[in-house]
Amino acid sequence: MSVHETEVLIIGGGVLGAAVARELSKYKVDVTLVEKEVDFGWGITKANAALVCQGMDCLTFRKEYYRSKLVWESIPMMEPLCKELDVPFKRIGQIAVFRDMGDIRPYSKVKARQEKWIPQMGSHQVLDKETLRNWEPNISRKFIGALYDPVMAITDPVKLNIALAENAEQNGVKTKLGTEVVGISPGVDEFEVQTNNGNIKSRFIVNAAGEQVDKIAAMVNADDFVVFPIKAQMWVLDKNVGGLVNHCVFAFVNDPPNMNLITPTVDGNLLIGVQLLLSDKRGDHSTSREAAERAIRYAQSLVPAISERDIIKSFASFILFRNLETGWHECIVRPSNSVPGLINVSIGFPGVSAAPATAKELVRLLSDQGLKLVDNPNFNPHRKDIPDFSELSNGEKNQLIVHDSRYAHVVCRCETVTEGEIVEAIKRIKAVGGLATVDGVKHRVRAGMGRCQSGFCRPRVISILANELGIPEEEVTMVGGKSRELLYKNKELLEEVNKIATGS
Amino acid sequence: MQQEVDVAVIGSGPAGLAAAIKAKETGAGKVVVFERAERLGGLLDQCVHNGFGLLYFGEDLTGPQYRDRFIEKAMDLKVNTELESMVLDLSADHTMKVASSKRGYFSLKPKAIVLAMGCRERTRFAIGIPGTRPTGIYTAGQAQRFVNVEGFIPGKKIVILGSGDIGMIMARRLTLEGANVEAVVEILPYVGGLIRNEVQCIHDFEIPLFLRHTVSEIHGYPRIEAVTISEVDEKFNPIAGTERKIECDTLLLSVGLIPENELSLKAGVKLDPLVGGPIVDEIRQTNVSGIFAGGNAVHVHDLVDNVSWESEIAGASAAAFAKGAKLPSGKIKMRPGRNIRYVVPQTISGKEDVTLYMRVKEPENNARIKVGDVMTTKVKLAVKPSSMEKVDVSASELKRLKEGTEEIVVDCVTKEAA
Amino acid sequence: MQREVNVICVGCPSGCEVTLTIDDKGEVTKITGNRCKEGKKYATEEYENPVRVLMATVLTQGSSQPLLPVRTDKPILKTRLSEGMRVLARVRAKPPLKAGDMLVPNLLNTGANIIATSDLTS
Repeated sequence: MSVHETEVLIIGGGVLGAAVARELSKYKVDVTLVEKEVDFGWGITKANAALVCQGMDCLTFRKEYYRSKLVWESIPMMEPLCKELDVPFKRIGQIAVFRDMGDIRPYSKVKARQEKWIPQMGSHQVLDKETLRNWEPNISRKFIGALYDPVMAITDPVKLNIALAENAEQNGVKTKLGTEVVGISPGVDEFEVQTNNGNIKSRFIVNAAGEQVDKIAAMVNADDFVVFPIKAQMWVLDKNVGGLVNHCVFAFVNDPPNMNLITPTVDGNLLIGVQLLLSDKRGDHSTSREAAERAIRYAQSLVPAISERDIIKSFASFILFRNLETGWHECIVRPSNSVPGLINVSIGFPGVSAAPATAKELVRLLSDQGLKLVDNPNFNPHRKDIPDFSELSNGEKNQLIVHDSRYAHVVCRCETVTEGEIVEAIKRIKAVGGLATVDGVKHRVRAGMGRCQSGFCRPRVISILANELGIPEEEVTMVGGKSRELLYKNKELLEEVNKIATGS
Repeated sequence: MQQEVDVAVIGSGPAGLAAAIKAKETGAGKVVVFERAERLGGLLDQCVHNGFGLLYFGEDLTGPQYRDRFIEKAMDLKVNTELESMVLDLSADHTMKVASSKRGYFSLKPKAIVLAMGCRERTRFAIGIPGTRPTGIYTAGQAQRFVNVEGFIPGKKIVILGSGDIGMIMARRLTLEGANVEAVVEILPYVGGLIRNEVQCIHDFEIPLFLRHTVSEIHGYPRIEAVTISEVDEKFNPIAGTERKIECDTLLLSVGLIPENELSLKAGVKLDPLVGGPIVDEIRQTNVSGIFAGGNAVHVHDLVDNVSWESEIAGASAAAFAKGAKLPSGKIKMRPGRNIRYVVPQTISGKEDVTLYMRVKEPENNARIKVGDVMTTKVKLAVKPSSMEKVDVSASELKRLKEGTEEIVVDCVTKEAA
Repeated sequence: MQREVNVICVGCPSGCEVTLTIDDKGEVTKITGNRCKEGKKYATEEYENPVRVLMATVLTQGSSQPLLPVRTDKPILKTRLSEGMRVLARVRAKPPLKAGDMLVPNLLNTGANIIATSDLTS
């Protein structure tokens, strides 16, 4: 049984785990990042509204919350980080509409607190009915005004996750995908961690396991926190209606904690949601008809032109709330009380937004615990994404084709994705030690994210994967494990019958 | 493209091939067909069943056989073809941007264009099936490609949602290849496709058929493990208490086809909301001068023979346009009336023989199609939404139109309703 | 002893359900349910001799195309279709082949041959 030794083991390769890995790679520390899925970003990271926000709830609630501090420190870090990592980032601003005069009081409190607590983040602006209509012509006429936050931005959390992991790996972090932690044994100076891919010995553990954060902590009885799993559901709308709003539009609802927001995505779709419900079925990421109907009703109350026919995709994930009594939650970013060397991390909401400062905080906590931090002079903060063909000029396109003619073969019609980009995505997945899959390709280059939902491109993506991985097509999977796309080869089922019938 | 292109045809399925051939036959100079796949023929490639060409050739051919007849003719007439070439953009001034595996990215400005992109299939999200999002869910056409071209059977225990022709044909295909089709589920009270397919694909193999039902939930991850089906009410909503769980490892969706219209929209072509395809006149010209359309890109057909005939009109018109001929324009609007869902072409000139294509909304017996005060067809024993109706109207019948008529209403009339 | 057999006529969109009354000699004595005379003819033929064209694909050997579409050149009894598929499962088409070429003569002694419906190149 192989034993891998490291100084800091990060459990969980979501946007948070990857951010910590990258932050640590700025120092001469031996870091290993393990992720149970065969690729990055498939947990909570891929199922959220992709907002980079101050978290309005941070302003409606207590300033002293650790979570608020981490979010507010992160916000100014996000844009430069996305630039370094070549990740999409668009500052679109948020408009929180006033349904009636009753909304003005809570919003004016938000505005006042924002000016007092985080003045460095620009000023909320009050919009009157006419300005609101000018800024958002498709919004319902019933709103009497709105509060505008110019700082709110959107990004692509999975691309950010992948970029952080790739950059961390480039800077010396060992990334082990498809590696699930099944047990942790605390020792004198180090932990011995059992995984499905051999054991790992590590001095420190950062538990950033997302939906399984409590399960991992329980392995060493370090679960001195309580989580309440809340399932969040969201829906993506066709690019045809992407122009219905120009900002992220938000409204209070009468049944919190449900949210009513409509936001553009970095790719030009709209996202609506978020429907929340308490659910103990942790592995169940199904979406329900009732939730979809409610979400559409809410969205229509904001923008009447929206219809359920515009939905092209739904998804769900679990947010782990710690303190349900107050309705909001304080994050968990702290060394375990009982197990030295283990630090538990669970932000909850907004997780993506808080990742940059949380990563820095974790490095500080590790240093407090005795981790020596010596600068890594070879740290390179820059990482380039796979070129997005649909965005290049004809001249740039043709240059790439000279380099590799597969960039001229368009495979995904809806999103204009070429074979060249798909092949590059597969290379990148291999480079970080992952298994290239249909979903892995999808998240990197968008093949299959369009309105036909891979109706045209799936057979071709499977074929390219088989070719690049040197495996037969029937071994290509959607997400690794037991998710083969094509179960039987032609005539295989008939041959089974033949063998039984003829005995040969 | 060194030499200027007279007619550019987008798509090399039965529509595109027929249009290109007719364009050449009616005198067009350089005719180029752009095909995004690796071979010519579009979806005919994957249609190994017969039933093609019964009307056009008077023979019962399979998809590949029908395709090859047209390919041969196209090659004889020296139609140019560009494979692995996807048209990415099209504007009203005819500028076309193409991504070609062989030639890279280039632009061209053909004199005339025929839109023959066919249609795409509706997805599970388009009809809002809740539940998990596992692998093992395919549209029927996608599965057909896997089975008949790539060489894979997606699973062993199959449920098919939708009894359109493609769904039924795949029920037969998969059963013949050794899989078990556990159920065909149809939301309407009657089968969505041709009777011939209902008998030869479902009843022949004793596949359970659930009418007035839909799939109300998908279970399992990462591979589908079961579906829940429910009966539906008149508003097509699932009725609580009628749920039934069916174990399966594959779900095929045959829940509707939508004309491919991205390029049409980019070029400013006006679409008919009843149909999803461009509004066309009797010579198959869209509202954009010099851009024509035919086949499933205009409206979803049942018979490939009609696709070929309709696209020949588009091809001939494109050729005439490229030569600078003055083309008749349709000013009279065809309006769908009683029990008619839509009529193509949407406008006619009223001066020439014309074939009207239409579909009814509800099945009826002993019905006639009444084209305004112009003519009424013989009694048809039965009309069904799944069977497209064709009505030939002659120029002399059209002379009955009053001067200045702007609209003709097409009704489906029965003895009771008349 | 009489019995009744139902046949759905596929001649036109009516889809009439035609009921045939069969006597103990297996002869058709009565036909009802058809709305035209084509229905009578079809239902009788379908009862006495229900035939179908078998259309499928066969695996190839020595070609970049994994499959070759094939069909019977004449319809065969519908009860022999699945047996026919099991025979086809063991056929391998080798290029070069032209559409119309015969791959399996006299499938299952039905008098129908299996022919290619597309060309096959290497």
